[in-house]
Amino acid sequence: MTAALEVEGLTVGFGPTPVLRMISFNVAPGERVVVLGASGAGKTTLLRAVAGLLPVAEGRVRVAGRDVSCEPPERRDAVYLHQAALPFPHLSVFENVAFPLRIRRLGTADIRSTVDDLLRAVRLDGLERRMPHTLSGGQRHRMTLARAMAARPAVLLLDEPLASLDPSLREEVRGTVIELQARHSAAVLMVTHDLEEAAALGHRIGVMLEGTLAQIESPEVLFRRPASLAVARFLGIPNEVKGRVAAGRFESALGCLQTTRADGEAIGVFGVDALRTGADGVEARVVALRYGRARVIATVEVGGLMLSYAPPPDSVPSPGQVVRLSLLAGQVALCSDLSHA
Amino acid sequence: MRGTGLLRWVLLPLLAVSAIAPLGLLLMVSVSRDWFAPALLPPTLTAESWLDVVEGGRLGSAFLRSLELAVATGGLAVMAGVTLGRALARQTGWRRHAGAAAAFLPVAVPPIGLGVGLEVSVLWLGLGGSFAGVLLGHLVPAAGYVTLYFMSVFSGYDFRVEEAARTLGATRLELLRRVVLPLLRRPLAEGFLLGFLVSWAQLALTLLIGGGRVRTLPLEVFAYLHAGQDRYAATGALLLTVPPVLTIGLVKLAVGRSEAFPV
Repeated sequence: MTAALEVEGLTVGFGPTPVLRMISFNVAPGERVVVLGASGAGKTTLLRAVAGLLPVAEGRVRVAGRDVSCEPPERRDAVYLHQAALPFPHLSVFENVAFPLRIRRLGTADIRSTVDDLLRAVRLDGLERRMPHTLSGGQRHRMTLARAMAARPAVLLLDEPLASLDPSLREEVRGTVIELQARHSAAVLMVTHDLEEAAALGHRIGVMLEGTLAQIESPEVLFRRPASLAVARFLGIPNEVKGRVAAGRFESALGCLQTTRADGEAIGVFGVDALRTGADGVEARVVALRYGRARVIATVEVGGLMLSYAPPPDSVPSPGQVVRLSLLAGQVALCSDLSHA
Repeated sequence: MRGTGLLRWVLLPLLAVSAIAPLGLLLMVSVSRDWFAPALLPPTLTAESWLDVVEGGRLGSAFLRSLELAVATGGLAVMAGVTLGRALARQTGWRRHAGAAAAFLPVAVPPIGLGVGLEVSVLWLGLGGSFAGVLLGHLVPAAGYVTLYFMSVFSGYDFRVEEAARTLGATRLELLRRVVLPLLRRPLAEGFLLGFLVSWAQLALTLLIGGGRVRTLPLEVFAYLHAGQDRYAATGALLLTVPPVLTIGLVKLAVGRSEAFPV
């Protein structure tokens, strides 16, 4: 099947430090890919370059198999939604949603039925005649989403669409995004700095670090197997242990693990669930406990190394207590790129 | 309370009288014959100067010439002002300040100083004493005013709306027709009127660049006044007030209608 969006070797900006460097990825029809990155990582630049709102130095953008790299924004079949809802302030709700249809010179009856259908889908039916400044923030967002879908784009580009909303409105708009996308099978490329939002919306998550796409994977794989130490740290994976791979075994202060990696120095990174208590583990002293909504996280010290783990709810240790911990093999990612270590 | 009463019953009526009284006096002078002090009212009335306007005499043709110049200046100043104001509003730092200063220069420089400089330039272009030369001269301060006006308009304008329209499928032409022009309808009208009024009131620049050959209404009023023909001068002066008064009314009407659609 042809990808809805193919980005190949995209480089934006000139000189020794371009804003984006050799970005490549695909988005399948109906798929939601979320690119996660810190402020200034180049997320918005990526969306704007794909939308044709920025010149690119190198690379190709294909939408539904068609090379649109040299096309203006209106011929790309990719609708870009800014972080803020941007209605056309001089047009009513109905006319805002009808905007892409009028441009495509559809008949009055078609426009009426499509707009009515979309307004029902975003629960704005009955507000057709209202002007945008009379709508609430959430309603404005839903209206601009409906307007975007009226264009029936192959690709929907969302620039932190939930960032400016209250938590209660976020859930509402997130639901609308998923619902509309499912109805129209558009591919979605979204950028955000919010890990939770990325995990909630993305079929796949891309991590953008300093203008490069460091990794793009499903959320499960990404959190278990970060491609590098930098990605692991960006994702907030709390534990790192230095060790050495020799003869198919990773040896560290926490014991040995089987691995297929080549011999050499490596760092094992893992989440709080990768450590379990057991008689065969190494000794660790509990330094502090942090109580969360769902569970307790214990900070322990192992040979000068500070680690975090989630003890079972029925046997939470006390600070100062010594526990025995061992690593769960399948939950440790080994990073051999030690440039960030 | 006393302050409000004083304002309402004394100051406001005084202001109204000070604005209307000179116009009333001008109207009287424009239709009077042989009216000298200390007579309170003119002994005889005449419509001679007004007939001159209607029949296309000196005042009538000067009125039309001024109208042509002001309309052309307003239109061209809007084109320049929108382009420059938009570009300057998108700049930051020294470029923005330098641009604003350049736009402000012809506004701030005394008309005589500006006029002499422009006269030399217009003569050099071979346009001295011509309609085109005077238009060029009027355009310089008008474009300055209108550019400054549009710079402020575009500083509050969200350019992302245009990007949204483009990715929704609007070509540049569609964008202009369906988004930009409707959004800027009111500023465009106001900018045009600003340019119009700058040209309408010009005397020094017209005199210096036109060399007396381009006869505009302010020039004729000045000439009649100089020749002691008060009746014609008063008629011309009254005609000069017509567009500004209409303008204020139109702007007020436009503001009232478009307040719901802020840029």
